[in-house]
Amino acid sequence: MPGKSLSPWTLSWFGSAMIALLLALVLALAAGIGPEDFDRPEALAIVHLFALGWLAQVMLGALVQFVPVLAARPLAFSRLALPALLASSLGTLALAGGFLSLDGYEIARPFFLLGPVALGLGFAMLAVMILATLVTRQTLRLPEVRMVLVALAGLAGLWLSGAAMVSTLAGSRVAVDLSQALPLHMLFGIGGFLTFAAFGVSYKLFAMFLLAPEAASWQRRAVFALAAMMAGLMLTGLLMLAGDAGITPLLIAVCGISLAGAALYLDDVRRLWQARRRAHPELNMSWSRMALGFLALSVLLLPFAIWQGGALARASVFAALVGWLSTLTLAQMIRITAFLTWIQIFAPLIGRRKVPTVQSLTHPRRAGLALTIWSLSAAIGTLSLATGFHAGFRLALCGLLIAATQILCELVAIRSLSHLPAPERPGLLPPLILPAFLKSQHSAENQI
Amino acid sequence: MTTPPPHELDVRPILAQGEEPFGAIMAAIDALQPGQALRMLAPFRPAPLFNVMANRGFDCADRRREDGVWEVTFTPQGSGPADAGMAPGSAPGAGFWPDPALVLELIGLEPPEPMVRILEEVTMLEPGQVLFALLDREPMFLFPELAQRGHEWAGNYAADGQSYRLMVRAGAKDD
Ligand code: HEM
Repeated sequence: MPGKSLSPWTLSWFGSAMIALLLALVLALAAGIGPEDFDRPEALAIVHLFALGWLAQVMLGALVQFVPVLAARPLAFSRLALPALLASSLGTLALAGGFLSLDGYEIARPFFLLGPVALGLGFAMLAVMILATLVTRQTLRLPEVRMVLVALAGLAGLWLSGAAMVSTLAGSRVAVDLSQALPLHMLFGIGGFLTFAAFGVSYKLFAMFLLAPEAASWQRRAVFALAAMMAGLMLTGLLMLAGDAGITPLLIAVCGISLAGAALYLDDVRRLWQARRRAHPELNMSWSRMALGFLALSVLLLPFAIWQGGALARASVFAALVGWLSTLTLAQMIRITAFLTWIQIFAPLIGRRKVPTVQSLTHPRRAGLALTIWSLSAAIGTLSLATGFHAGFRLALCGLLIAATQILCELVAIRSLSHLPAPERPGLLPPLILPAFLKSQHSAENQI
Repeated sequence: MTTPPPHELDVRPILAQGEEPFGAIMAAIDALQPGQALRMLAPFRPAPLFNVMANRGFDCADRRREDGVWEVTFTPQGSGPADAGMAPGSAPGAGFWPDPALVLELIGLEPPEPMVRILEEVTMLEPGQVLFALLDREPMFLFPELAQRGHEWAGNYAADGQSYRLMVRAGAKDD
């Protein structure tokens, strides 16, 4: 299929996301954030740098790469990839800066309103690219595709709930009850958007890395049905907020659906694991298992989070964002970066000279150590939040920063082929995170 | 049903005059008979066009000829009895290719190993010879590479969706 190959901007999305991850962790350490400080404006800024700058960007970048594969056709409106990246990065920075205005930094106030606008623009451009690529009669039958579509609905709900809260905090006429909107907002962000997107992408990735059959199972169809139901309920919740109605019964229903959906998803992955043809799964898969453990943990904490709020709610959010979504993403990102780098550099050389394996671009021991530190810190952080243990939480933040730095170094090493013996390296390498357009063809191609 | 032969459009002269070929291409598309394909010749791979054409309901198959010219065939989706059920991007007329000179069983190999094996083998074939490969999944990163090297391919999933069948017809020898 023509053009069904690399999306040139994927690595730029990954790069931008890694920078946001490190920035969020450095700031959390510098601002002295502890388990009790989550309502401080600085904490809100850092949470969003992490959730939007790191997780949302890496997920959206992965979707831009992945959606053409799902749909077996080239990415539609691919020229929007760069403006979307710029808008979402700027929007994230503006929103994070804007939260500081809640602390009385008046100069930050305009950014608070700019943030949601820029984010909305970026998200809209991505949605256009993804929908225009995915929505065909053949692809809509696939449960993975439907899952990604539900995740986009979750993204819309996330934005609406976030923008409504920003508007309330900025003192404008459009105002919602924050105590009601916040749980819905967090469920949209963590569940409705990020987790559903991760489900959709992981089915395909897991099957590929485990060499397991791709065919959909009843569990997968059921997970989709539950996800669609949950998104529908939460969007109804948004409407109810606008009408000042209480949403507690709805949250209880969402909680029940989350438990059932996560259980079915985990069962589906277990099925893939057992049907695999690859006897010894690689690093990315063994660490994805750890991530799945955190998914289970955070969903089990969810009923307590909704009933009691407070410490257990923070622990559940942390287990989801740092333990489940981040561990999964980091583990897969190392493998995907190695794969894309290999394709970019060595695919044209196959059959013409001996090419190295994808594995030889990586250093599994180093990546494994970094992922161990990451998961351990995620576990310590979750526990410290649940028990209000200040020193433990600070220790966890240090561990996360060390692990993230290690992983960044490993990603740079993969991109620059530095694990390969010098004779196997080609003379000219593509840029680290910017697209390498074919220079001679580029100007001519643009004419058509 | 008889399908009219593809309409041929060479955009090289238009480009050579420094003009935009887009209008000429769209005019040619509008003038096609039902079921008729458009075969376009260009000095480079016109990647941005593929999307435009996909949205207008055309499948694209591209290959680089021996003389460096790109030959791109846009076939209306769902036409051509010999090609029914082939994945988008498959070369038209694969049903008339000779029997495979080589059969590769590539089930259970991790990507990109199947791609490496196919490219290595197809490099050794004589021009026009066909290779058949059985894979776990669609080798999506292989297709642009085959086109770049001037080989044609046609493939689809087996009815049970558990394996992917691929035929590759070797183009001229490269290097
Ligand atoms: C994946 C994306 C997102 C996630 C996971 C997320 C998560 C969260 C969490 C966990 C909180 C509570 C933080 C705390 O109490 O310390 C929060 C609050 C908030 N979020 Fe988000 N968020 C996301 C995106 C957004 C977006 C796009 C906007 C704006 C358009 C937004 C606006 C807000 C606002 C205004 C609050 C503060 C509410 C208050 O002061 O009570 N968020 N978000």
